[in-house]
Amino acid sequence: MDFYDILFWILSVMAVGCALGVVLSRNPIHSVIFLILTFFAISGHYLIMNAQFLAIVNIIVYAGAIMVLFLYILMLMNLNADAEPQKGLLVQIAGILSGGTLFLVLLAATKSAHNEEINKVSTNVGLITNLGKLLFTKYVLPFEISSVLFLTAMIGAIVIGKKEPQLKNGEEHIA
Amino acid sequence: MNAIIEATIYGVFLMLLGLMWQERKLIWAISIIPACLSGYFFITSAAGTHEHEITARVFFILTQLLLATTIERKYASIVTKVLFIALLVGNIYEIKIHNNVPELLFNNMLRIEPSSLWFNLLMTGAAFIYIMLMNKDIQKVGNYVAEYFSLIFFILCGLYLLSSYNNLLMMFIGIEILSIPQYILAGSDKHNLKSSEASLKYFLMGAFSTGILLMGIALLYGAAHTFNIMEMVGMLHSNALDPLAITGILFIIIAFSFKVSAAPMHMWTPDVYDGAPTVFTAFMATVGKSAAFFAFIRLFHFSFYDLSEHWILIIACITCATLFIGNITAVFQQSIKRMLAYSSIAQAGFMLFALLAYRPMGMQSIIFYATAYSIATIGMFAVLVKVKDYTYDGFNGLAKKEPLLAFVATIFLFSLAGIPLTGGFMAKYFVLLGVMQHGDMLWLVLFALLMAAISVFYYFRVIMAMYFKQGSPEMNSQVTLYDKVMLLVTCLVVLLLGIVPQFFMLPG
Repeated sequence: MDFYDILFWILSVMAVGCALGVVLSRNPIHSVIFLILTFFAISGHYLIMNAQFLAIVNIIVYAGAIMVLFLYILMLMNLNADAEPQKGLLVQIAGILSGGTLFLVLLAATKSAHNEEINKVSTNVGLITNLGKLLFTKYVLPFEISSVLFLTAMIGAIVIGKKEPQLKNGEEHIA
Repeated sequence: MNAIIEATIYGVFLMLLGLMWQERKLIWAISIIPACLSGYFFITSAAGTHEHEITARVFFILTQLLLATTIERKYASIVTKVLFIALLVGNIYEIKIHNNVPELLFNNMLRIEPSSLWFNLLMTGAAFIYIMLMNKDIQKVGNYVAEYFSLIFFILCGLYLLSSYNNLLMMFIGIEILSIPQYILAGSDKHNLKSSEASLKYFLMGAFSTGILLMGIALLYGAAHTFNIMEMVGMLHSNALDPLAITGILFIIIAFSFKVSAAPMHMWTPDVYDGAPTVFTAFMATVGKSAAFFAFIRLFHFSFYDLSEHWILIIACITCATLFIGNITAVFQQSIKRMLAYSSIAQAGFMLFALLAYRPMGMQSIIFYATAYSIATIGMFAVLVKVKDYTYDGFNGLAKKEPLLAFVATIFLFSLAGIPLTGGFMAKYFVLLGVMQHGDMLWLVLFALLMAAISVFYYFRVIMAMYFKQGSPEMNSQVTLYDKVMLLVTCLVVLLLGIVPQFFMLPG
């Protein structure tokens, strides 16, 4: 049990515990804060694996931007415990059954999967230089073509977000 | 590859067109700069430098582009038609120069095969027919006409990626490029609450299924140690299959069933197809769905073909459920638009047969089925947008008022129901034939035939309303000579698909 193992276990317990906290806590604000902690734990895992770039991006994008957005939305929405929709017993049972079946399948899959022992070798794959090289050589097409995706999203923001002038009188409107 | 670039460029061009409309005067002013530069370089090029001449040309093209963005909004559809013809020509050219050997591009990211090019061409053809039939009605949806057209080009870009991907990453990006424009198009009618609901529902469901797809891809990567769909074949062995791989395949089946609206993941389909503007439903239910199907079958027939014992029964059950739910629920619908939404689920059931078929036959039959289904459905929706009331009663007496409209609608419905001499019959024949080669799938084929018989009932209800009931249907817009000619051409294509199917089959 060396230093890395201890760190791994601490981070893993933190990640799983906080993930459970996200689902189980009643207060949505607490859920979000647990989620941030989960992201930090996962970033710690990335750091252990010498993937500094991923760790930083994970914190900036997820723990930073997305979570702040989440918090804002929650504060705007004014969620109360009594505003929570009540679910019927049948729905609950159905949910437990289907979720439990999925869990069982996943459990069975991981149980019979052979666990390969991976030797700890220090790699530099996760460093930003290597990542950049990979991104612009082997994975250049997915990297570039995702710009089409973002362009589409931008057009979507214009089409959906921008105010549309009222229809002129006498102009037919198609449903 | 050319087609992907072409579609992207046209989409960007139309996007610019849309953006620049508001700022027309500004653009006029700005375009003076490249015009002057072009003139300057042209004059200096007389001195003999070759570079200056090229620079002059580049600036000249830039000026033209800027000026093109200032043309009137009503010309957007004409620009789109021209671009579509260029895209079609580009597709044909790509088939011509392709030498029947799979072509690997960009470090094995794309694998362009004859089947993918053929699918591209036929789907572009269907989209072209769609644009020719519907462009007038697309302009009535809202203000952002050029943006709608550019989104349609981006959907085609996603389609081209999905027909030629060789890597699960490319598949994922292709699926996203295909889906996101569809979420937007579904919500483009902002004056209609149902359209917004459809968009939100589609987006949430789509995001959810994408999450499942990614989870499946991650599990598969864990088992196969590669994203490459061809290398995966060597890594996964049927007799000692990693449980991670089985779980991954299962997740991918579920995610794709969402995308192609197969039961029991079809719940979003009726609401989305009913709520979205009719013109865009016509595109989403045909070309969008066919692309997802092609990607589905490409992955399963390339990578998981040898593992079929692990997934074939699941697919058979999904097929069975899709056929049953789609057809039975369609019978009870009162609105023709909603009926067509359920019918698209039922047709998805038939398309799933291509997945069950043996290898070369499956790919062949999905291309043919997708084409026949798309063209007939686009035609039927084109008739639908002309009529004001979408209930069956709204179609009463259409044959008397608009005989030609009623006639072409009848042909399209015949094709959807699978009556001989139309494309739908040959399509159903091919997909079922492919499965008949499996000896033990006979029960499914018989069930499909029974369901096809049920589908005749609800398709013929429309024909009955048009021909045998009295009434005077209200029209949404005038049926012009242009509409009539285009509808007749579409009708002719549907008949040609049924009479000379070999003409549309993959050559070679």
